[in-house]
Amino acid sequence: MREADRWSGLVCLLFGVALYVAIIPWQVETVSYGWLRPRTLPRALAVIIALCGLWLMLVPSGDARPVGTPWLRAGLFAGLLIAGLWLISRLGFVWVAPVLALAIMVLSGERRPLWLVLGAAGLPLAIWWTVTVLLERTLPGPS
Amino acid sequence: MPELDIILAGLGDAFSPVTLLFVLAGVVLGQFVGAVPGIGPVMAMAIAIPFTFGLDPLAGIGFLVGVNKGGLVGGAIPAVLLNTPGTPDAAATAMDGYPLAQQGKPLKATKMALFSSVTGDTFSDIVLITVSAPLAIFALRMGPVEVLGLMMLAFAVIAGLMGRSVAKGLIAAALGLLAAMVGTDPEHATPRFIFGQFEVYDGLPLPAIAIGMLAISELLSRLAQRQGTVPAIRMDKGGDPADRRVSWAEYWGCRFTMLRGAVIGTILGALPGIGSTAAAFMSYASARQASDDPGSFGKGNLHGIAAAESANSSVMGANMIPLLTLGIPGSVSAALIISAFMIHGVQPGPFLFEQQGRLIYGLFGAMILANLLNLIVGQLGLRLWTLVVSAPQSFVFTAALLMCFVGVSLASGGLFGIGLMLGFAVLAFVMTAFGFSVVVFIIAFFLGPRLEISLSQTLALLNGNPLALLNYPFGLLLMLAAPVAAVALARKRSVPTREEVT
Repeated sequence: MREADRWSGLVCLLFGVALYVAIIPWQVETVSYGWLRPRTLPRALAVIIALCGLWLMLVPSGDARPVGTPWLRAGLFAGLLIAGLWLISRLGFVWVAPVLALAIMVLSGERRPLWLVLGAAGLPLAIWWTVTVLLERTLPGPS
Repeated sequence: MPELDIILAGLGDAFSPVTLLFVLAGVVLGQFVGAVPGIGPVMAMAIAIPFTFGLDPLAGIGFLVGVNKGGLVGGAIPAVLLNTPGTPDAAATAMDGYPLAQQGKPLKATKMALFSSVTGDTFSDIVLITVSAPLAIFALRMGPVEVLGLMMLAFAVIAGLMGRSVAKGLIAAALGLLAAMVGTDPEHATPRFIFGQFEVYDGLPLPAIAIGMLAISELLSRLAQRQGTVPAIRMDKGGDPADRRVSWAEYWGCRFTMLRGAVIGTILGALPGIGSTAAAFMSYASARQASDDPGSFGKGNLHGIAAAESANSSVMGANMIPLLTLGIPGSVSAALIISAFMIHGVQPGPFLFEQQGRLIYGLFGAMILANLLNLIVGQLGLRLWTLVVSAPQSFVFTAALLMCFVGVSLASGGLFGIGLMLGFAVLAFVMTAFGFSVVVFIIAFFLGPRLEISLSQTLALLNGNPLALLNYPFGLLLMLAAPVAAVALARKRSVPTREEVT
C-alpha cells in the first residue's frame, strides 16, 4: 500500500509545517534566555516530522494496511465509548455502565441471555463493589 | 554494616506467620490487579498504603512489596492472553506472548512470563542484598551529562524496534516526544501545548496514554472484527502437552536472554527515573539483535517473553538500591514505598542500614519470600486467569473496557483522563493501520521529560563549550556509544533474516 504511505507522509508533512508555523507560536511562549528554550525541542520535532513525512512520500515503505482495517465498526465502537463518557459526565458511572456494557455486547454480536445479563448487571455490580465498597474510592461521574 | 545476628534476626522476622500472611496477601492482590487492564500495582499500592498504618512496619512494607511484585507478574497475563498489557511495562511481553497464545500455546507463554519474571526479580534482589551500597554510590555519581548519554543510548536502541521504515519510526518517536512536551517546560516553567486545559499542566498522564494506546485501541480493533461470541482465546484441552508447559530445556535455553534482561533491568532500576517499561523494551531489542533468528521475534519467540519479563521484574529490586541507601525513590512504586517507610517512622537514607538493620534485612527476606510466593500463586493463578479469559470476547472485552474507564479515572484524576485515553486510543488505531509503531511512540513519551531535563542541565553545565564534555568521560562514552549502536542496529536490520532468505 505505497499509496497509503504517500498520503500518510503528506499528512505528516502538513502537520509538521502547521506545528512549526502555527501551533508552536500559538501554544508555546517566547523566551529569550536560557540554554534550552521552550520552543527549541518542539521546533526540532516539527522539522523531523515534516522531513520524515516528505521522505515517506518519496520513498514509501508499503507496510500500511488501511484497506483491511474495519474503520466503520471501529468508529462505531469508538463513538459508543465517547457517548458513554459523555453520559457518565452527566449521570455517573453507576447508571451508564449497565447500558454501555449491554450496548457493547449486543453490537459485538452477543445474543445469549446469560452472558448479556452477566455483562450488563454482573460486571457493573462487581466494579461498583470493588471500587466503592472494598477500596472506598469514587467511581467516575459528574463533578 | 550490621552484625550477623541482626541480619539473621531480620531474615527470621520475614518468615514469621504474620509477615508471611501479609506478603502472601500482597502477592495475590498484586497478581489480581496486575491481570486487570487499567488498574495495576501502582494504584493498588497507593490505595493500600493507608491500610498498613496499623500494621507492624515489616508486615506493612512487605505487603506493599508483595503487591508490586505480584503486579509485575499479573501484568503479563492479559498482555499474553489478550494483547492488552495490564501494566505499561508488560507491553514488550505482549509482542511475543500474544502471538504464541494465538498459536494455541497461551499456557506456555504465561508460564514463560512467570518463570522469567521470578528469575529476573530474584537476580535483582540478590544484587540489592549484596551490592546495594556500592551501586547506589555509582548511580549517585551519574550527573545530567551521563543521564543524557544514557537517554541517547536508549533512543539508539529503540531504533531496533522501528520496524521496516525508519521514517515511520522517527515520526512515531517525534510524536511521542511531542506528547511528552505537553505541560510546563522544565527550564522556564512556561506552559506548552495545554490548549487552555489546566489538567495537563503537569503533563499528560502516563496511565491514560499507555492504556488508551495499548489496551483500548486493541480492544477497538478486536471488537470491530465481529468475533464477539467466540472465546477471547482458544484454550485447547487436547493437543500436545508440551504446548501447555515450559520444559527445563526451554527455560535453560533462555538463560542468557534472562541474564541479559536481568542485568539491563538491574542497572536501569538502580538509576532513578528510567523504570521498568524502558528496561523491558531495551532488553527485548537487545535480545532480538543478539538472536540468530531475529525474524522470529514478534511471532511467538520464547526469548522475547523471557527478555521482557526478566528485565521489567528485575527493576523492582534495583529500584530499592537508591531508595534504601540514599532515600531517593527511583520510580513511582519506590516513592510509595518510601512514603510507607515514613508513615512507620523510618527515615530512608545512608544511616538506615546502621539504625534499622533488622528491618532492612527483614525486608530483604520478605522480598525473596515474595518471589517464592509469586511463583506458587502464579502457577495456581495462571490457570484461574486463563479460565477467566475463556469467556466470550464480548464479555471479556466489555469487562476490560469498563475496568479501563474506572482504572484511568482513579489513576489520572477523573473524566478528563478517560477522554485522553479515548483520544489516544483512536490515534493508536490510526497509527497501527498506517504502519506507525505505537510502542516507539510510548517509549519516546515515557523518556521524553527525562531527556529534556538532562539536555537542559547538560547545556547549562557545558556552558556552550563542547570540549567541556571531556570532563565527563563516562557520559561522553555513552554519547559516543549511541550513534555506534544506531549504526550497528541499522546494519543488522538491513541484513536479511533467515526467514527472509528462505
